[in-house]
Amino acid sequence: MLPLILPLGDRGLLVRFGEALSDEANRAAIALAGHIEAAAIPDVLEVVPNLISVLVRYEPARLTFERLAGEIRLLASAGDDRQSAGAEHRVAVRFDGEDLESVAGLLGLSVGDFLRAHNVAPLRVLATGFAPGFIYCGLHPETLVVPRRNVVRRQVPAGTVLFAAGQTAITSTAIPTGWHVLGHTGFRNFDPAAEPPTRVRAGDRVAFEAAP
Amino acid sequence: MTAIRITRAGPLATLQDAGRPGLLRHGISASGPMDRAAFERAGGWLGAAGTTGIEFTTAGIGFVADASVSMAVDGGAFELSIDGEAKSWPSRALLKAGAVVDIRPGSLGNYGYLRFDRQIEVPLVMGSRATSSIAGIGGFEGRALKAGDVLALGATLPRGRGQHPTQAALADGPIRVIWGIHADRFSNAIRQRFVTDEFVVSPQLDRMGVRLADPLQVFADAAILSLVSDAVAPGDIQILGDGTPIVLMRDHQPTGGYPRIATVISADIDRFAQVRPGAPVRFEPVTVAHAQGLKP
Repeated sequence: MLPLILPLGDRGLLVRFGEALSDEANRAAIALAGHIEAAAIPDVLEVVPNLISVLVRYEPARLTFERLAGEIRLLASAGDDRQSAGAEHRVAVRFDGEDLESVAGLLGLSVGDFLRAHNVAPLRVLATGFAPGFIYCGLHPETLVVPRRNVVRRQVPAGTVLFAAGQTAITSTAIPTGWHVLGHTGFRNFDPAAEPPTRVRAGDRVAFEAAP
Repeated sequence: MTAIRITRAGPLATLQDAGRPGLLRHGISASGPMDRAAFERAGGWLGAAGTTGIEFTTAGIGFVADASVSMAVDGGAFELSIDGEAKSWPSRALLKAGAVVDIRPGSLGNYGYLRFDRQIEVPLVMGSRATSSIAGIGGFEGRALKAGDVLALGATLPRGRGQHPTQAALADGPIRVIWGIHADRFSNAIRQRFVTDEFVVSPQLDRMGVRLADPLQVFADAAILSLVSDAVAPGDIQILGDGTPIVLMRDHQPTGGYPRIATVISADIDRFAQVRPGAPVRFEPVTVAHAQGLKP
């Protein structure tokens, strides 16, 4: 899958795989971010994988956009979508969210059947970085896709398990959200005193289970 | 302990330093001064300044120094008085113990900076003392300053050679931008109007972003749906679903799902941050190579 390379301001370069979220585009973005990091290109300041793209921040006084784009094109054209296996995280969830019944209803399932389908296998961490410690996990099969809510909740607390658009997400700080609330977890992925401050990486796996 | 006691703080006065770049994957944007050049000038007047300073907003700030300390102020144009005596702007001064410093609204700008020849002693959070208003971390207890706060100051730094304060030349003209990562999602007509029509800075501005009024309705019919969320850079101009343009600033969200038509270049972000509500703004497209050849 060959990406589009474009400037993001005068100190950033964005590599984007297509226009829509797909498993293939996401895997390609995470793999390329790993390759760019491994290449240790001088004057690259930061490499950040997102859902279907990679942000590369660089020092423009010493590295031009065109030269960086050329190096990244070479790395991307190798077409190596392999990535390191990644860690597995077990996340125990109290499935007591206010939207759990309506989500199951939207999918035509009982709550029990929905949770069995939701927890059946570990999900991949698709991206991090939306908010401190926030993680997107997915992708669920088409039978488990619901749209976002029409109304945004002004704030949900840290440890809220969210669901929409074929993904399950976990908050680590209080945020506003238009996603459905499935439940709550003691799992936290943000500690400003720790180094690094978050430990879940894109490409890791997350196994959801009902808290006893 | 040497300290200053805040007696009055306008909204959103925060501690800032060079910021904490490099943490986007952890969900943390870099923060740092809204007008970096003014922050650096304030340090330059002292010769040796603590890396952390106070960023204050249009309403200004007041404080009392409990020991002798050197300070410098810069950014915008504010009214400064020390023990009731009016001083010039920008300025540097050796404050005596007990000095009463008052910074009142002036004629220009949204942000001013106050720096000392001592470090402001607050904990480093992820390598920086900058306040992130979006994450609620860093600075003074992760929040804006308010009256009654006491800021501890460290030892006097070895004195370097300071520069004499002179008013920075005021650049004007359009704010220069690079076409954004979603520019191709907008019609040619809208793109053309974006760089010819006038926008107006609205009163809804903070460290995260500046909302623009769009009196000529450039983006009235620009509705673009379902973008996959993507990396954000400071200066990105995103267009909300109702057509409102927002310029994302130093405490920006790390990723965003609204279309970005353009990105303000690094050399013009400081100047844009100082444009007051009600003032008109025009945008001018430049190439990446051109932007990189300009001094920030």
